[in-house]
Amino acid sequence: MLRSFLPIITLFIILFLLIIPAKARVYLDINAPSFVQLPIVLPKWKSLGKTPPSLSAKVYEILSNDLLLSGFFRVVDYSKLPPLLREKEGIPDPLLISEWIHSGGEMLMVGDVSLEPNTLQVILRYHLVDLIEQKRLVGKQIEGHVQNLRYLVHRISDEVIFQLTGEHGMNTTKLAYVMRQGESKEIFIADFDGANVKQVTKNQSINLSPAWSPDGKKIIFTSYLKRNPDLYVMELHKEGTHRLSFQPGLNASPSWSPDGKKLAIMLSREGKSEIAIIDSNGTNPRFLTKGHGNESSPSWSPDGQWIAFCSDRSGSPQIYVMDTNGSNLRRLTYEGNYNTSPSWSPKGNRIAFCGRVGGEFHIFTIEADGSGLRKLTSNSGHNESPCWSPDGRYIAFSSTRTGSSKIYIMNANGFNQRPLTPSKGGESSPTWSPRF
Amino acid sequence: MSKKRTTILILLVFCLGLTLAGCPKKTVVKEEPSAAARREEAARMEAERAREAREREAREREAREREAREREAREREKAKEELEKSLIAKKTPGIEGTVYESTLLKTIHFDFDKYDIRPGDAEILKENAAVLKKYPNLKIQIEGHCDERGTEAYNLALGERRATSTKNYLISLGISPDRITTISYGEERPLDPGHNEEAWAKNRRAQFVIIAK
Repeated sequence: MLRSFLPIITLFIILFLLIIPAKARVYLDINAPSFVQLPIVLPKWKSLGKTPPSLSAKVYEILSNDLLLSGFFRVVDYSKLPPLLREKEGIPDPLLISEWIHSGGEMLMVGDVSLEPNTLQVILRYHLVDLIEQKRLVGKQIEGHVQNLRYLVHRISDEVIFQLTGEHGMNTTKLAYVMRQGESKEIFIADFDGANVKQVTKNQSINLSPAWSPDGKKIIFTSYLKRNPDLYVMELHKEGTHRLSFQPGLNASPSWSPDGKKLAIMLSREGKSEIAIIDSNGTNPRFLTKGHGNESSPSWSPDGQWIAFCSDRSGSPQIYVMDTNGSNLRRLTYEGNYNTSPSWSPKGNRIAFCGRVGGEFHIFTIEADGSGLRKLTSNSGHNESPCWSPDGRYIAFSSTRTGSSKIYIMNANGFNQRPLTPSKGGESSPTWSPRF
Repeated sequence: MSKKRTTILILLVFCLGLTLAGCPKKTVVKEEPSAAARREEAARMEAERAREAREREAREREAREREAREREAREREKAKEELEKSLIAKKTPGIEGTVYESTLLKTIHFDFDKYDIRPGDAEILKENAAVLKKYPNLKIQIEGHCDERGTEAYNLALGERRATSTKNYLISLGISPDRITTISYGEERPLDPGHNEEAWAKNRRAQFVIIAK
């Protein structure tokens, strides 16, 4: 699936104009609970020479959508510009910053694309300009096969986000999730922007709880293929899957250790679900919990020292934290009587979970010390299975707000909630890949 | 002379009479062994009768037993037929093997977020245990199911616990643990696809499938 995507890519980036040196100024503190979206002016891109105009239009569409989806920007589309500026396309030579000051944005991004017809290599060039301080921030060129156009544009969006927020964007990441297919549930993959939807299991079984490995090469999931919920591993650049953990009873809900060497899982002992750690090849199970209740949904902390999980030992499901030996247990949630599905932010500070309010399930975050509870969803319907982006700036989750369950993405502060794909629904259990 | 002859004749007759009268005395002596034989004979006949009675009794018992065996066999056959008639083979794409659902093994239900056996459901489990005792070859799998609400992973744990508490109840009724396996389907296999309390109540269940008969 990724075979056609990563290894064959021949990509190199040439810095041909770098005005700001290594350390970028942070225009947006996106970790603040709320922030104002930065308005960015996006004139038309230009197809140079004999490059088909459809190519620059395509680049514009992907780029504009990436910037929008990041949640950090208000994109000023070329159609919204004053008449004189509306007609301008590509990188003006010379680029007169003063012309653009009243274009309605604080940032300006211009670019062009050229296609080499023999090799089918495309060259994308762009400039980023600060209209308030009236200076160029960056000018770069990126080149690769036209087949990888989407990926190339995502790299550009990533770079722009890096320049303006101090951290790379998530545009080259992917999400895996479960999709109902009649009676069965199969695992699908989509890009962060909802493009390139691919079905990666085709076994007609019940396939659940995918977990993307930290190196991006594998997905571990639970399947009922052998009439028991066993753990399987799928290598994304190879065909086929193999069975990893198959004790009688549950082998489910895997969470990778940050170093990718171990998995925390739900494993049955004496007919009860416990939290256990296994090696990532499926061997050497060690139980961390000891039959105090039904234990579920382990999630590893980014420093590898702690595991958050859900337990009903107090009479109702609540979120707990313990160390990787099962000691130093503490309860995190006290509000509400149904809190499940913890997911530890890769930044380490917050834990997202699913809690019931009235008859509905909503996404919350809480500090790892149990303080600062925040409710992030408020639409009607059930919102479940939160999972963080690898940079900790987004949360993916499933929601039934429009009927059938769909994957949504939002900023970690709850802003900018949008469905991942335009699918009809039946989606659940998202897991996020690292950046590719 | 005539008178004298007559007297002699009378005497003779008298003597003869005496002689004849002495005869029974002689017979009595002779008859003593003959009575013992008769008793022996009687005992023999008694034994014979008893033997015949015993044989008859044995024959009758055998016939009764045979009849009982035949009746049992007929009943077994009938029960087997009854079981066979109750079975629905269930083959699920993507899940290995064929199992059978039986109308003889009744599904039980649970309260939201609970796995304890309710009193009414305990009665159903007693009936199910009786069925398992009637068919000692049956091996079953108990499937624990949940309604759609709540998290998939938590519901897997809850379904596991529902199956286990059902299994433990059957064990307490004398069913061997070797005959029972469990599986949790969490919220993945609802009976009723609805999104309301009625559907949810139906879906929170422990269901029985036969894996060997």
